[in-house]
Amino acid sequence: MTALLFAEWTRLTRTRLWLWGLLAAGGTGALIGLLALAGPENFDPPLPALHTAQGTHALVGLLGVTVFVPALLGSVAVASEHRHRTITTTTLYAPRRWTWLAAKLTVYTGVGLAYGLLATAVTGGALFAVAAAKGLTLGLPAAAVAGMLGRIAVAMAVYTLLGVAVGALLRNQVAALVVVGAYFYFVETLLMVLPGVRELYPYLPGGATAALTGFTYLTDAVATQTGQAVTHLLPAPVGAAVLVAYALLAAALAIAVPLRRDI
Amino acid sequence: MNIEVRGLTKAYGAVRAVSDLSFDLPPATVTGFLGPNGSGKTTTMRMMLGLVTPTAGTATFGGRRYADLRNPSAVVGAVLDSAGFHPAHTARDHLLVYARMARHGVRRVRQVMHLTGVAAFADRGTRALSTGMRQRLSLATALLGDPRVLLLDEPSNGLDPEGIAWLRGFLRDLAAEGRTVLVSSHVLGEIEHLAGHVVLIRRGRLVTTGPLSLLYGTAAVLVRTPQADLLAARLTATGTPVEHAGHDLLRVHGLSAPEVAETAAHHGVVLHEITPERPSLEQTFLHLTGDPR
Repeated sequence: MTALLFAEWTRLTRTRLWLWGLLAAGGTGALIGLLALAGPENFDPPLPALHTAQGTHALVGLLGVTVFVPALLGSVAVASEHRHRTITTTTLYAPRRWTWLAAKLTVYTGVGLAYGLLATAVTGGALFAVAAAKGLTLGLPAAAVAGMLGRIAVAMAVYTLLGVAVGALLRNQVAALVVVGAYFYFVETLLMVLPGVRELYPYLPGGATAALTGFTYLTDAVATQTGQAVTHLLPAPVGAAVLVAYALLAAALAIAVPLRRDI
Repeated sequence: MNIEVRGLTKAYGAVRAVSDLSFDLPPATVTGFLGPNGSGKTTTMRMMLGLVTPTAGTATFGGRRYADLRNPSAVVGAVLDSAGFHPAHTARDHLLVYARMARHGVRRVRQVMHLTGVAAFADRGTRALSTGMRQRLSLATALLGDPRVLLLDEPSNGLDPEGIAWLRGFLRDLAAEGRTVLVSSHVLGEIEHLAGHVVLIRRGRLVTTGPLSLLYGTAAVLVRTPQADLLAARLTATGTPVEHAGHDLLRVHGLSAPEVAETAAHHGVVLHEITPERPSLEQTFLHLTGDPR
């Protein structure tokens, strides 16, 4: 197994994908910093300013919206084995196909965590730097900001795992991108307005993510629009566990279904 | 190591791509796996390697299925048309990934690069490789584990004559080192100077298997002589089948060119031309199956 892990690491680091990951992680963090520099109170429509608790919370939460980026990177990494037809050689070298999928899931979860730590470190650094430069204090204590950022980093790791599993399940890069993207921006939002499904929302991937990242924009918006009570999200660790369960389910399906297909 | 294929069958719905196919590969020999396009050669090889699940039957290497081998790439190497490379990887990167996967070591990567000539373009991206270079890289990947068995699916497809000659010599050397090699082809000419053994299939079924000379049983000799009728009469008298292929041209079956020449000399027949006629695969099929397709 260590050989497979090492091989996957080699496969990743010998392409430019890691560089794109690095740029995306640093870039999203820097973007949050830029937004902080512009000041949320100057947005159109304006958001609470950086020195208020809501203002800081909103800016950190914006980073939570980008958790799908490492998920896409994970999907692309796995689906590329099919696209470039290296899957044949990979399967010849490791005929028990679940072994290399497990190696990919492990390596990319680590990579996703590294991505999350980089993105959150840049975000945190940028927020504190902007606050210092503007001569104001963030609306939340440093420990609270660090806690939020840490949960987002974990969410990014779990999402990468989810992305790898979806990529292995669908095998097609474009299909994986479309499914992951469409689900989070479209399907789940639609589900939210259904009365029965709304109760399930905390257990859906988006709801679990919101619980983990603490960014409840969507539930708040639906509550405002419909006048219904805000859906209560799960505690953060439970949210994380629900997300991991989804990822493992996708991985199990990926092992049970497509890996049995003829190559 | 015994390599046995027993009753291998693959059905796609009602279509049988491979039907109850059984053969053995003789050790330390190049075996030609012959059949027209679409006769089931690729499907058979993919089943042997566990990439395609057989509907019935087994293929074993020393008694074990490919997927049950402890370190399969150290036992069987495969060059398949369908195997690709990540375009962002160099040739060296590609070999390194798979060497690490099966613990074959970085030194072995250098060895196979020199062995196959990949060293000349080791640091070029695989997207920029020619067909010949890609084939060499596939071969290098197959040899990483120093396997005793090699399966190659139409390895000369797309190669220029120089590349084909190199490949032929390379495979012959591998067999001379004691390796068992299976090379598929739809062109008999590619196999005849290389293989010592053949497995012939048609429409997914075994036609025949045995030494290469099996195919030459069907060879004929073309003879051009102004005394065609006299020679034909003399040969027919000894029970040799003779066909008139033109007014001064005979096609003699069942004798070698020297035998025909000696018979002619014995009867004082002047020969203007004598040519051993190599059968095309299609003619061999016609002979062995009584059916041109």
